[in-house]
Amino acid sequence: MTKPEKLIVDGKRLDGRGPLDLRPIKFKAGVLKRADGSCYLEFGGNKVMAAVYGPREVHPRHLQNSSRAIVRYRYNMAAFSVEDRKRPGPDRRSIEISKVSREALECVVLEALYPRSAIDIFVEILQADAGTRAAGINAASVALADAGIPMKCLVSACAVGKVDDTLVLDLNKDEDNYGQADLPIAVTQFGDVSLCQMDGHLTEEEFGQAVDMAIVGCKKLHEMQKQALVEKYGEMVSPQAEEAEAQKADGGERSE
Amino acid sequence: MSEDIIAEIKRDYIYSLANQGDRADGRKFDEFRPISIEVGVINKAEGSSRVMIGQSQVVVGVKVQPGEPFPDTPDTGVIITNLELVPLASPSFETGPPREDAIELARVVDRGVRESGAIDLSKLCIESGQKVWMVFIDVHVLDHDGNLMDAASLGAIAALRNTTMPYARYGLGEDVKLPLKDVPVGITAVNIGGVIMLDPSLDEENVASCKLTVITNKEGALAGMQKSGVGTLTPDEVKYIVHIAKDKANVLREKLEGLS
Amino acid sequence: MEREIVVPGDMLGEDPKLSGSGTYVQDGKVYSANYGLVDRRSSIKVIPLSGRYIPARSDLVIGKVVDVTFSNWIVDINSPYEGLLHLSEFPERVDPANMNKYLHAGELIIARVADVDPTMKVELTMRDEHLRILKQGRVIDISHVKIPRVIGRNGSMISMLKKDLNVSIFVGQNGRIWLKGDEKKVDLAIRTIFKIEREAHTSGLTDSIKDYLNKELEQLRNT
Repeated sequence: MTKPEKLIVDGKRLDGRGPLDLRPIKFKAGVLKRADGSCYLEFGGNKVMAAVYGPREVHPRHLQNSSRAIVRYRYNMAAFSVEDRKRPGPDRRSIEISKVSREALECVVLEALYPRSAIDIFVEILQADAGTRAAGINAASVALADAGIPMKCLVSACAVGKVDDTLVLDLNKDEDNYGQADLPIAVTQFGDVSLCQMDGHLTEEEFGQAVDMAIVGCKKLHEMQKQALVEKYGEMVSPQAEEAEAQKADGGERSE
Repeated sequence: MSEDIIAEIKRDYIYSLANQGDRADGRKFDEFRPISIEVGVINKAEGSSRVMIGQSQVVVGVKVQPGEPFPDTPDTGVIITNLELVPLASPSFETGPPREDAIELARVVDRGVRESGAIDLSKLCIESGQKVWMVFIDVHVLDHDGNLMDAASLGAIAALRNTTMPYARYGLGEDVKLPLKDVPVGITAVNIGGVIMLDPSLDEENVASCKLTVITNKEGALAGMQKSGVGTLTPDEVKYIVHIAKDKANVLREKLEGLS
Repeated sequence: MEREIVVPGDMLGEDPKLSGSGTYVQDGKVYSANYGLVDRRSSIKVIPLSGRYIPARSDLVIGKVVDVTFSNWIVDINSPYEGLLHLSEFPERVDPANMNKYLHAGELIIARVADVDPTMKVELTMRDEHLRILKQGRVIDISHVKIPRVIGRNGSMISMLKKDLNVSIFVGQNGRIWLKGDEKKVDLAIRTIFKIEREAHTSGLTDSIKDYLNKELEQLRNT
């Protein structure tokens, strides 16, 4: 694939989007049987499955923390997810992405509630199309909530880039390959930046604008994440029904 | 892990049901759970599929790339099959390189494809001794609810049928479909107290004394077999399983043929 | 007013004094910490829709013995924390050299959570009436957050199941439920419990379950 001559033509990107447009996005919560929580996400051409197990026992035991849960995150790309088949197994890039993604989410998890346990987050990239780490974090946030892990809030992520000297939100593959900068950012719902990486070339002013653009993109993603969680249940509950809902029964019910 | 210790009363229940001709989910002994097959789900791959048997779920991607032939077979293409039991698919799957269960599953899927001659490897030569087509079959297990073997083998053949050789990308002419000569299908049975049942659920698989997978080709001949687990089967039980597997494989084959 | 489904981070109120379980306070406002249903009747609470069972003192649980050490049985109680049953908490006198004789891996027990210490060390006991080893019968696992629905207000739902189906049922706080009785009736009880689990968040559940039971019992009678 040769570099296209121009990546922006008449203010439109090659895939028809404007600079502030996200690619088509679809979240679905609670899709796996065995995992405690899960989320399948299609984000542009990315296809991502995130799942959470936890809180659960820590293996190996020496990793336990007596005052809080440990959070682990494993980002993994399927061999068939990329153009040239990738050898299965973690490589240095996956390990780095796993670390920063974990840190992006750990800041909102209420870990102190579950000492001596582990909250394990697994993200499998089934198809990659630029922005996989952001997609992973978006799906993982939903999977954490789906698993019932208490958190301060959800975390949303997207990447801003620069192509043809223009800042654009949510890079696609060509823009990522041939662009001038790539800035993946994750923010909590309260606007705190929990992931920030950059490579390429950005002036200070460009960086400031890029962050603002990312925050706008993340707000939109947050709405979709919440929607996916609400949709899973499809119905509202009326308060005059089953007051047992609010009254957690004291003690178990005796038998026979 | 504590998931691996089966509660005795659950085990007793499954065995006593088997004795009276029943299964916990009400299926007949030769009945499969609902099967869904989708193809073309990963467009970065040259061929792909997503298969569900009950709630067990696998995604298979086939990548076709030029590579070097093995020195002793300079004109023959190469098939490489791998299977990942990724930790998200089950609380008992750990991170790390494939362990014996993942390796066994991959090798049995491979056996079925290879021994049935489904892919004519002699047609995969690009330049004798230098370049041949490598066909990578990668099975990614997403949810383990029993009988991953049949889901993986069905997924593999479905993905192969969906595979296009990327000739154009390498300047070798127009893309063509991967030439397939056969449709190997694996059917797995378990032995529960002398009772044979097909398509074990997760619980049935965990309490069974052993499993037997039988892979047949289009003609109903055997292309591969694998017994797994510490229990044993009588020769008659083995023959019986081969017999019912043949018929069942045809049912699954029809499902595959029903896809475009 | 409908009861809403909320997600972590949703703002629920502006009075920090109303912050109840499942919520937290930040900058003088009350936020949800859980993915669940809001209950605003007294304080603001969020009842989680999912999550793992965390043992609390005096809970009655169904445990699965998974290991035996020199003085304790290790019991899986479907929680991130395993339960320890010390041999002195077994209803009979136990010969320490022969613990397997009394209770071995794979057996299920009804036990009470005697104590949970701050490091989440969970001690179980079987030294009360009603606590015992479960022989025969069937056991199922459901999400522990739905257990209150299976029990019902003042035990109304579970009593209905036991009476209408004439089966013995024990409901553990940890999401495990044991049943014993006529095979077809137990099957129906299990189907009904899974239905309650799926529909736990909906309104009119008791009626919906009553109707379901009546229809199914009718079918059973006709076969």
